[in-house]
Amino acid sequence: MLVATERFGDLEVPDDRLLSFPQGLPGFPDARRFALVDGRDSGVFYWLQSVDDAALAFLCAVPWAFFPDYALDLADDEEAALGLSSADQAMVLSILTVHREEQRITANLLGPVVVNQVTRTGRQVVLGGADDLLQVPLPA
Amino acid sequence: MLVLTRRSNQSVMIGQDIVVTVLEIRGDQVRLGIRAPREVSVHREEVFAELGRANRLAAEVRSDDEALLPAPPPPRG
Repeated sequence: MLVATERFGDLEVPDDRLLSFPQGLPGFPDARRFALVDGRDSGVFYWLQSVDDAALAFLCAVPWAFFPDYALDLADDEEAALGLSSADQAMVLSILTVHREEQRITANLLGPVVVNQVTRTGRQVVLGGADDLLQVPLPA
Repeated sequence: MLVLTRRSNQSVMIGQDIVVTVLEIRGDQVRLGIRAPREVSVHREEVFAELGRANRLAAEVRSDDEALLPAPPPPRG
């Protein structure tokens, strides 16, 4: 599928990289379809590019690349909503925020994006945890 | 909205297996204890608003911001 984007021009995205977010994302309830686009360092950084809004994209990282001890315990209702039956069905991404003036990048470890790789359905879940997990600096 | 008056250490039940207990009342703050089955997630309402704000800030990312990303540390092992 050809996806028009503001940041990357027109991207040809294979079907198996098209993800559905039935609830959208908090702050973007209408953003229901995203393309998973490889970012720098294959397998570490990804872009979630909205299929319907060329201007909307998130830079993400696989959290364990930077936070090997990160534990993710999904509530049963989240697992059910995603239709997950095993952990290796899930792809987990942390949305990154670039604080340009401070030259600082933080990861949202409170609300990871969890994708069922079989159904290619995703959802931003809320983990029980302290608010300070919302902006955790990426170790340089 | 159902409105109930409860004192400290009194509870309300929601359905048969969710119990919300008023643990402590101090000034304008109330400490609540919530007992619910594992499949019920309990979050402060503000958490979703915070996530929305965080997502809107994150969405201001530019494609050249990738240059600012640190290299991932080598896997431990």
